[in-house]
Amino acid sequence: MDILSGFSRDKSNLVDILQAFQDKLGYLPEDIIIEVADYLRMSPSAVYSVATFYPRFKFTPSGKKTVCACRGTACHVRGGGRVLREIENKLGIKPGETTSDMEYTLETVSCMGACALAPAVMVDNEIHGQMTPAKVSEVIGE
Amino acid sequence: MNNNGNISRSVLICQGTSCSSQKSKKIREAFECGILEAGITDTKVDFTGCQGFCALGPVVIIEPEGILYTRVTVEYVPEIIRSHLQEGRPVSALFYTDPESGEAVPYYKNIGKYKKQHRLIMRNCGHINPEKIADYEAVGGYKSLKKIISHMSPQQVVDEIRCSGLRGRGGGGFPIAQKWDLCRATTADSKYVICNADEGDPGAFMDRNILEGDPHSLLEGLIIAGYAAGASKGFIYLRSDYKLAVKRIKLAIEAAKKQGYLGENIFGSGFSFDVSIRTGVGAYVCGEETALIATIEGKRGTPHPRPPYPAERGLWGQPTVINNVKTLANIPLVISQGADSYAKIGTVNNSGTAVLALSGKIVNGGIIEVPMGTTLREIIFDIGGGIPNGRRFKAVQIGGPSEACLPAGLLNTPVDFDSLAKVGASLGSGGIVVMDEDTCIVDIARYFLSFTQLESCGKCTPCRLGTKRMLDILERICNGKGKMSDLDLLLKLAKTVKEGSLCGLGQSAPNTVLTTLRYFKKEYEEHILRHHCRAAVCRGMVKAPCIHTCPAEIDVPRYIRSIQKGQPGEALAIVREKIPFPAVCGLVCFHPCESRCRRAQLDEAVSIRELKRYAVEYGNDIWKSRTKKALPSGKRVAVIGSGPAGLTAAYYLARSGHSVTVYESQPLAGGMLRMAIPDYRLPKDILDADIDEIISAGVTIKTNTEIYNVESLFEQGFNAVFVAIGAQNDLKIGISGEDDHRFIDRLAFLKEVNSGKKFSPGDRVGVIGGGHAAVDVARTSRRLGAGEVTIIYRRSREDMPAGLEEIEKALAEGINILEMTMPVQAVNGEDGVTLECIRMQKGDIDSSGRYRSVPMEGSEFSIELDSVIASVGQRLHIPDRFGLDTADDGFIGVDNFTLATDKPGVYAGGDAVLGPSSVIEAISQGRQAAKSIDIYLGGSGIIDETLAIPEDIDFLEDPSELPRQVSPVLPASERIKSFSQVELGYDREIAEEEARRCLRCDLE
Repeated sequence: MDILSGFSRDKSNLVDILQAFQDKLGYLPEDIIIEVADYLRMSPSAVYSVATFYPRFKFTPSGKKTVCACRGTACHVRGGGRVLREIENKLGIKPGETTSDMEYTLETVSCMGACALAPAVMVDNEIHGQMTPAKVSEVIGE
Repeated sequence: MNNNGNISRSVLICQGTSCSSQKSKKIREAFECGILEAGITDTKVDFTGCQGFCALGPVVIIEPEGILYTRVTVEYVPEIIRSHLQEGRPVSALFYTDPESGEAVPYYKNIGKYKKQHRLIMRNCGHINPEKIADYEAVGGYKSLKKIISHMSPQQVVDEIRCSGLRGRGGGGFPIAQKWDLCRATTADSKYVICNADEGDPGAFMDRNILEGDPHSLLEGLIIAGYAAGASKGFIYLRSDYKLAVKRIKLAIEAAKKQGYLGENIFGSGFSFDVSIRTGVGAYVCGEETALIATIEGKRGTPHPRPPYPAERGLWGQPTVINNVKTLANIPLVISQGADSYAKIGTVNNSGTAVLALSGKIVNGGIIEVPMGTTLREIIFDIGGGIPNGRRFKAVQIGGPSEACLPAGLLNTPVDFDSLAKVGASLGSGGIVVMDEDTCIVDIARYFLSFTQLESCGKCTPCRLGTKRMLDILERICNGKGKMSDLDLLLKLAKTVKEGSLCGLGQSAPNTVLTTLRYFKKEYEEHILRHHCRAAVCRGMVKAPCIHTCPAEIDVPRYIRSIQKGQPGEALAIVREKIPFPAVCGLVCFHPCESRCRRAQLDEAVSIRELKRYAVEYGNDIWKSRTKKALPSGKRVAVIGSGPAGLTAAYYLARSGHSVTVYESQPLAGGMLRMAIPDYRLPKDILDADIDEIISAGVTIKTNTEIYNVESLFEQGFNAVFVAIGAQNDLKIGISGEDDHRFIDRLAFLKEVNSGKKFSPGDRVGVIGGGHAAVDVARTSRRLGAGEVTIIYRRSREDMPAGLEEIEKALAEGINILEMTMPVQAVNGEDGVTLECIRMQKGDIDSSGRYRSVPMEGSEFSIELDSVIASVGQRLHIPDRFGLDTADDGFIGVDNFTLATDKPGVYAGGDAVLGPSSVIEAISQGRQAAKSIDIYLGGSGIIDETLAIPEDIDFLEDPSELPRQVSPVLPASERIKSFSQVELGYDREIAEEEARRCLRCDLE
């Protein structure tokens, strides 16, 4: 794939290569893992060993929209837990899961750095601050 | 953007993350269009990084005036253009308002929060366009780099940094020069410098700010670091999800290259330096140096033992200096202003500034920068604006999830590396999260541990398993299944995890548990021993905050639903399941439930007390048909005192089958309910109705009978005794002159009035105190004809324990309140008493989280009064022959859970044990005493009964969106003419409407 040609066959490029694929495809399919392993002259299991260490790498396709709820301290202290529960109720999925119609993937993050706006929820790349359970339907738009 | 000739004014719109999320980009576009259309040519519009005023966004600054506009919306832009830019009249509606004084502050330099800062690293954020290198150069950017390259050798640069005393801002506080020395001293072919911008600590967002707002400052610092350390290649390692930061850094690197600050042979010096970006992939542990290096090397991000330190053997085995964003941003400043000048900022051994991210329960959240050594108190209260909504401070977490939670008593701790280390804390990432009384400390410890547990890389068994076990224990405690031995186990595990972990994550993971156990042990004990979460947070134990907070655990949401369904009789039955004084509580309870009501997060708490009253007035006797009385036990119990504690205990004991006699020294039963609460709050016939039901349950009350000797009761054949004699004696104020006859004893005064005798306390009455008792005295005095009644209280109105409702009623009845005032002495004359007072001001925060009230020098004044009534507290009066020990606080000492005294068979409760307390707490103690005595007498100790039908929750409308229904009251002018009841109560329509506001937290 063109992505690979942008990197030398150096093993230390592994994490960057995986990130490039993750950004482009939204997840790391098995055949990509094998292709990368081949390119870097590593075993696929060694590649998996690195890929599975990092939370941002996904191995199943994501939904069209990613809803990311922040679990950070400021968000927790300002009621982020109830916002997350409301999102779970509305979408019918738990963090790490994708709705069956492939519209939404729900994730959580330990802190997205928007603490002054706690509690924060990010939908794709847009941060929504000062969330309440009542605002969830506006933000998820169902 | 206007690029025309003479620019004399700038409109700067913040496009940092927070303001951007509130559409500040659209605001900028609106300004650009609007200014163009208006034909204004001398004003440029630009965007900037974040000033740090995140809680007030979107933020716009107009220079050169230095005016700050807060909470700007697109709709306001035309007005700003017309009124401010064209007509020279700034738009005052958008000014910042000082929370203390309530005044508008137009200039950002005058804003308290800003004034008290020392903005060094943050100096450019919010003032320059971060995507324009020319803006950075215009304010002195890259001058430091030019200076060192032409005038200083790498060793000289290291020495300069050494003189400045700069310590690492990533959390370790390690002297920077030493790290660079180590790198220089190691021989190698290649050396590297890495900027650690992985900012993973929840609560930290200042590195993000710098990356987005002033990326060149960081880049310049990195290049200088490379020069000093002898490196030719630099990396900036930042989180991939900091998308805006990644974009700005990339632009900065390209621009720097173009200008020749990066690349081969920089400015002909022979020094070559190149910078690449690497992005982190979501593992918190990769903020640790050796783990970070592993990621760049393409491996799993697990840490390695140190030594060897990265400065000796790091990336690809080569010497590598790793510095935090804030550390590097300091470097150009040290070079430009000189090490000596820099070292003057801050404190000894802790030079420079601290950049802190304030969040949590705080009025002014955002990024601030203060000299090292500024105290937590100044940061949280003076700069941060304190806790919102009048809540009380509880704890502050500093430095990250693996760091300490400090209590109010440590608020005077200076924020610097060494002072924090002394109290078991650490500056860490500089994130400061403030918590108030609505935060559960045990839940916070559990929460932090769940974070570190999740992020543990798994390499070290003590960290991987130890944190998991600690988390399991904490979860059990939060679910009400903890044991006291768990606390010892937590300490043991903490030690093992700390000592057995290879990296900082594991070594500091137990810190939050350790500090919270050290400073907040009581909360842990309450969770374990009483299944009580005082913040009403732990869902495993808290069915609903109102139920949990009610000392009698009344099933509030259920009775409110009954009212909603038009069944006040069932509502009354539900209330009676827990208390025998529904009518009294419906009128006078201080409703702690409402203070925790979750509805208050939307608008206002549900009017729980009024709804209880409604249930009493509109309910029926259906509950009576469902009570069961136990068979006679053959045991006899004596209760001394017929106040709420005594009568509640008597009621439950009688229903459990015991023969109960209540002894009351006064002519009528009721205790303080009868003697001290005025008729306009609690009509005595309503009190009688509740007492009559208690008598019907089989309780005998002997009035006009004082008991002097507990032994004599046992001799008469009683098997157990409950002492509920209250705290009958009023405390003195403690000033000279108060022995005069014009100083009236509060309780004697109220007793006289409540027994029907009317007398006049004179025209000018002074009441000292701020609780319900003081307000009762004041309002009673007004009804007795006093024309000028003044309540004198040494703290502020918001702090008065009487609560806002009572205070508002008092004010409406023409009573004056002199807050922040303390009486000093009384001079009694013929025409009255001159009470000399002094004004008070807010001092330090004490260990309970409240500010101390301290006298203000030179503010003495006098007030002329006819009488003074002190309502400052009560103490116990107990006959010697009771033979009961008093505790340190002067009240009867009992076991906290059983209420047993040290005399077998003798129990005590109510004000006699708690000190002056509340009706519902006295009732709660009465319940506890009944349970304990029943067990003592061979019973089960179960006093709960089911009086209402099972609930059918199939039908449920959504909660109403209406605001809280106003409680109808008599007009103020009529009220003071008599002692008629002031509160009129809800009618059916309003009650059902109010009941619909309940959010049904118990059904979640």
